[in-house]
Amino acid sequence: MGSLLGDWPSYDPHNFSQLRPADPSAQPSKLTPATYHPTHNRTLPPPNQVISTEARNILLRHFYQKSEEKLPPKRAASDHPTSEHNCKQPRAAYADGAH
Amino acid sequence: MFRSTNVAARVFERQILTPRPGATINLVRHFYENLVPSCTICDIDCPDHSFRKITDDGRYLVSFSRNLQDIIVYRPTWLSFSFKGGNFDYQSLTQKAKKFDSFFTQLYSVSLGSSSEFICKDFFLYLEDHQFGLFATSTAQSHEVPAIEGAIHGVPSIEKITFHLVRLKDGVVMDEKSFCNDFVNLAHSMGVFLYEDLLCIMSLRYQTIHILQVRDSGNLVDVRNIGSFCLEDDELFLNSHAQCMTVLNKSKPVGNVHESANGIHHQQVAQASAFLTGIKQRLLSFIFRKAWSEEADPILRVQHLKKKFYFHFQDYVDLIMWKAQFLDRHHLLIKFGSVDGGVSRSTDQHPAFFAVYNMETTEIIAFYQNSSEELYSLFEQFYDHFHANSRESVHANFISSHSNNIHALEQLWSMKNKQSSFSQFVKKMMTSVPYTCQSQSPSPYFDVSLFRYDEKLISSTDRHRHSTDHPIKFISRRQPNVLKFKIKPGLETSGAEARTKKICSFLFHPHLPMALSIQQTYMQPTVVNLHLRIWMELEVVVIPVRMFWIEGLALRG
Repeated sequence: MGSLLGDWPSYDPHNFSQLRPADPSAQPSKLTPATYHPTHNRTLPPPNQVISTEARNILLRHFYQKSEEKLPPKRAASDHPTSEHNCKQPRAAYADGAH
Repeated sequence: MFRSTNVAARVFERQILTPRPGATINLVRHFYENLVPSCTICDIDCPDHSFRKITDDGRYLVSFSRNLQDIIVYRPTWLSFSFKGGNFDYQSLTQKAKKFDSFFTQLYSVSLGSSSEFICKDFFLYLEDHQFGLFATSTAQSHEVPAIEGAIHGVPSIEKITFHLVRLKDGVVMDEKSFCNDFVNLAHSMGVFLYEDLLCIMSLRYQTIHILQVRDSGNLVDVRNIGSFCLEDDELFLNSHAQCMTVLNKSKPVGNVHESANGIHHQQVAQASAFLTGIKQRLLSFIFRKAWSEEADPILRVQHLKKKFYFHFQDYVDLIMWKAQFLDRHHLLIKFGSVDGGVSRSTDQHPAFFAVYNMETTEIIAFYQNSSEELYSLFEQFYDHFHANSRESVHANFISSHSNNIHALEQLWSMKNKQSSFSQFVKKMMTSVPYTCQSQSPSPYFDVSLFRYDEKLISSTDRHRHSTDHPIKFISRRQPNVLKFKIKPGLETSGAEARTKKICSFLFHPHLPMALSIQQTYMQPTVVNLHLRIWMELEVVVIPVRMFWIEGLALRG
């Protein structure tokens, strides 16, 4: 019969006898859908890309982001040693100003 | 979204409907609109125990004996009844249905307390993966305590607090952990936070956060203590420094080093007390650096520092940790406040602060006052992350909050608009942070998208409430005027009895349409009611219709 419902059991043998595929020549399994290929490779992911879930949840990410905005990261001790000494010199002046 | 409200139609529709990704549970929950605990068995004849909680996976009902010495664990089951032939004996069904034993089977009774230690009946935490329960026993609280080194003044002391880890399947006590002469806030499990297998115990008296891990074998293992010291080797460094000093000054006596069960070394060497505690040092340095970086100009910076930091220095030093919770495995959210601020409800006189602390790097990441609008905006958007639910806990992820439910969010906004002062509103909302874990029931009847109910009379938070004589109504959210079911917490009372104050608490089963309401009246026996759904009508309807289903589908198609 060629019906999609095949030979499933039914209490009335005349059920599904009227069903016919609309176009007998078109075999759905033989049709291949059109394939689209990209004409550029701008949107290719980098070859070593691995997508994974961020371990830190979004609330913590917000806390870290806000703290990075407010507090610049600490400079390493080796950078700008002279400026450290400069910080020490005006202290005496401030102490005078405070009292 | 189901097209019909009829339960049979919904069952058929569920067979062909694909829910939206990640929202299967939200869709399936709609069946709870049809299956409601509408029948009440008043004053069910049950043993006189103090019922604490039905665990979040619905496997155990945990209760304590009246003398607070034993734990009694029941298995919630469901009444099953079958009959043959035409004559259905409704009477015998109702007789069986009115018994407590038809719904709860006692598994065992285990004694945890002793003559001096009593089980804390407000404390219970459940580890779902291993089916372990954490209980606490304590001796009496004493307020008159001598001030000793390391302990802060103004906090009461309990001679001994013991945490017991019990395997709920058979009642075997796996491990115990004791704290002596300490104070942990055991009421409603507020001083302890459980996240996956990590426990965070806030010792108020010694200002230490104890992090413990619950192993698969059932052992409670110390991970770290945060308070006096932050890094594991801080103590070693300070001790070696102190010993060097005493070697040089031989005239000074070396202090006693004695270890108590808390694992804290009380040293009476003068140098140790000259240092602020490790956590306090981290906090003060964070506040200093923040104030420092706020102003670029060096002269204005000093003025800014004076105003923001030095002026309040002693207030910051006097802050104590009140409550802590995990935000994830490495981060803690700690609430700081003044010594007398923890117990008072008013938020005006006693400012509170919140700090986010990274346990691995021992750094403070953020520090906010409780009136901070920035913190409030995070609270409004990401409240679910304050709950710190691990990914495995399915039920807890679907508890309605204003971050995952539009109706709850609208309620929050309407509260915000009603308040005259925004900072007062923010402070009020911040009292719910840090979150108390396992304090909300995952029952779908509290899902705000399904039902509307009076939050003052009943809610997912397991707190005692004043009970009213009127039944508590659960109205369908989707059909605004349809009453779905009512919960009547007590017996019919006459006028005289109605004046006495009654306190009611509710225990909802996480997935069965069953709830216990426990009403306590002063000087009168406790009344326990069982609210449930009687299933009879459903089976009769569904079965005959199914036989015609396949034909019906084909004819339509």
